[in-house]
Amino acid sequence: MKLSNSIACSHCHLEFSKDVMIKDGERYFCCNGCKGVYHLLSDEGLDSFYAKAGNVKLSPPTEQYEDSSNFNSPAFYDRFVKVNSDGFSEVSLIIEGIHCSACVWLNEKALHKMDGIIEASINFTNNKASIVWSDDTVKLSQIIDMIRAIGYNAYPYDSSLQEAHANKERKDYYLRMAVAIFASMNIMWIAVAQYAGYFSGMAQDMKTILNIAEGILATPVLFYSGWIFFRGAYYGMKTKVVNMDILVATGASLTYVYSIYITLMKSGEAYFDSVSMIITFVLIGKFLEVLSKKSVADSLDIIGKHIPSEVNLLKEGKVVSCKLVDVGVGEIVVVSSGEKVFLDGEIIKGSGSFDESNLTGESRPIYKNIGDVIISGTVSIDADVQFRTSKDFEHSTLSNLVQLLENAIGKKPKIEQLANKLSEYFSSVILLLSFITFAVWWFWPHDFEIAFMVGVSVIVIACPCALALATPVATLVGLSLGVKRGILFKEAAQLETMAKVDTLVLDKTGTITVGKPQVVNEIIFSEFDKELLYSLTKSSKHPVSHGVFEYLETLEEGLSVVEFDEFVQLPALGVLATKDSFTLLGGNYRLMQENGIEVEYTSDKTLFYFAINQKILAIYELDDKIKEGALALIEDLKKRNIETIMLTGDNENAALRVAKTIGLKNVYWEQTPEDKANFISKLHEQKRTVVMVGDGVNDILALAIADIGIVMGSGSDIAVDVGDVLLLNDSLLSLGDTFKISRTTYGLIKQNLGISLVYNAITIPLAMGGYIIPLIAAISMSLSSLLVVGNSMRIKIKWNKG
Amino acid sequence: MDSWLIVMMLGGSIFLGGLALLAFLWAVKNGQFDDEEKFLNAVKYDGEDELNDAVNLERKKEKLKRGYRPE
Repeated sequence: MKLSNSIACSHCHLEFSKDVMIKDGERYFCCNGCKGVYHLLSDEGLDSFYAKAGNVKLSPPTEQYEDSSNFNSPAFYDRFVKVNSDGFSEVSLIIEGIHCSACVWLNEKALHKMDGIIEASINFTNNKASIVWSDDTVKLSQIIDMIRAIGYNAYPYDSSLQEAHANKERKDYYLRMAVAIFASMNIMWIAVAQYAGYFSGMAQDMKTILNIAEGILATPVLFYSGWIFFRGAYYGMKTKVVNMDILVATGASLTYVYSIYITLMKSGEAYFDSVSMIITFVLIGKFLEVLSKKSVADSLDIIGKHIPSEVNLLKEGKVVSCKLVDVGVGEIVVVSSGEKVFLDGEIIKGSGSFDESNLTGESRPIYKNIGDVIISGTVSIDADVQFRTSKDFEHSTLSNLVQLLENAIGKKPKIEQLANKLSEYFSSVILLLSFITFAVWWFWPHDFEIAFMVGVSVIVIACPCALALATPVATLVGLSLGVKRGILFKEAAQLETMAKVDTLVLDKTGTITVGKPQVVNEIIFSEFDKELLYSLTKSSKHPVSHGVFEYLETLEEGLSVVEFDEFVQLPALGVLATKDSFTLLGGNYRLMQENGIEVEYTSDKTLFYFAINQKILAIYELDDKIKEGALALIEDLKKRNIETIMLTGDNENAALRVAKTIGLKNVYWEQTPEDKANFISKLHEQKRTVVMVGDGVNDILALAIADIGIVMGSGSDIAVDVGDVLLLNDSLLSLGDTFKISRTTYGLIKQNLGISLVYNAITIPLAMGGYIIPLIAAISMSLSSLLVVGNSMRIKIKWNKG
Repeated sequence: MDSWLIVMMLGGSIFLGGLALLAFLWAVKNGQFDDEEKFLNAVKYDGEDELNDAVNLERKKEKLKRGYRPE
């Protein structure tokens, strides 16, 4: 709906009513921030930005930024700023607020205008910027201030971490693949002439010309694209493992040397096409693997990303911000509603409800008063409190957990992949076979030349192309099936591990249950206007009120919000509002009691009372509901012979009630994060492959240590980072799908490996007998690879139909 | 058919193809495919001013480099 007298802000183009706008000459601004940016841009001569941006709506600049001077601290420079070879400083930033290409233009322009900045390039797709500057002329804080001044925000990220590394590796593969594919495609059409000549006869000099052309094309493929295999073979030999790289490297280089020999001798058939085809196919297989590899979680990054650098302290009656690490024991920290607590302590002023579900698994909000203990990692729901710290940050519950996590990440068991195991045997056997073939042919009176050719043909025909493609193609199909159902596997190899899982460990709150109270029962004593309750609960942040609000929203559509004359949130009680002569009360039993309202209704669930003018009108029963499909999941797992165990930090009653409803027998309650991790270690000692499903901070240790950690998408940030598999829709049905997909994929991997082995079983004896002509070698190579890819596609199509 | 004809055609086409490949490799290395959107959009903001800015930036860089390491 467009208001008749609305007008667009000259900077951000958002439309507001004319009366609330700031008038400035001909222009209108929605806020001082926009006005400031507009004038800055005109002064700097950058106002052509508006012509470029057109009518794109920008977000108005916010003005409350933390002081930028801490960007100049040596510790910060140490971590984020690098010095490049020219002696200039370099930093990677993420820029917030980029909406269009004009924003990118503006940022780059504004930065380029600054003295001392040498280069600023911003990636439009991911909003990441890399800035090079001379630190003598300008400081990083000034650069960040500039970005903020033109209405954006920037924060640094550590580019030396996995991501940059992964991108570099990927680019390297692109280059090598480009060369390999280009050369292979050209060799193919030359090979067509060769094959035609093989059957219809061709003059030797023509053959030599074609051979030389193929040789020229195959050389960069072997030495540039194939470099990866030589490197792999070298490391393999160093660690005394016969890997696939050795097979590929020896096969390709022997064939190459032999083909050069044939070309020079001007007799026989050269196999340059096989050289480039082997390298190209196996390289593609390797690239697919690299594409779906998870970058190792960097624990440093996890801490830095989710924990702020500053907290509010109360010093001499004034609130000052202080670095988290500098807060000592006995200092007073101020926490307001909605904030996360990062230090442990004891409340000295104020009271309110805290959400501890993240840490303890207790789904109900916990009311805390003066003298009660606050644990780091919990969230204040409606409490504005001051507390005295009992530990410094380094020893707080939260950083203890994170430290334990760092150790746990390294302990994750590695299950060897089927293909790797197989390829080791395969490579050894083929190399041996080829040597035996050569020896037999040579001692059975044959020329060295013929014996060598037959020996090499065994390696060439036992082309590991299909073997190399078998796993990556199958896992790619598995990954894409998962993505369509909201399941993100962070690493392809996890699909295989997942298929071998025999024990499932579940967390309760947020995993089996929704994790927040929802209305299960509504008792209405007398009819009332639902809009009043709707408006009352809408403004409250408390999860119980929110549960009632959501219930009303689903019950009736199009409820409108009533404007109250007065609205007060009463910590740990509820909400109070007045409208004309009515007084509305919504909250818990204590709120009713304190206002002298008599109610006789008891339940073991959480209750929300609603009263107008001292008269109770309705009671809502709320409970942490069990997610849809929980029962079906447990049944399904039983059928698959997977043992299911529930671990929860919650109390016995809550744990048993949930377990009974979904039919679980193995339940353990009041588990601390360490208990959970120990439990999984014990399962590992029994040689079990364990998958852990969780969502909270209290699950991170267990998630990190389990063979597979599955995290609900709505889980805490740290958990999402630690987990291996992410269920975007939080649904237990997806959890079931995860098992199904991984098993299908594993089956597919086995099929693919089977296909390539059968192929080799047929062709290797032929090669050993010396019956292989170049045409058959080339066809079998492509055909086996095509079969593997085709088989994987078949599964994909079958799944997409079902 | 004379062999030199084949040699010439093969040589010529592989050489031309090789040039295209080199251009592609250069472009990938140069980061031209890293951000497809920006390079497409850059066309919209191409003009005399942008050219001047680029030259000025280049000069500034030179000056800073020299200032940093007096030789």
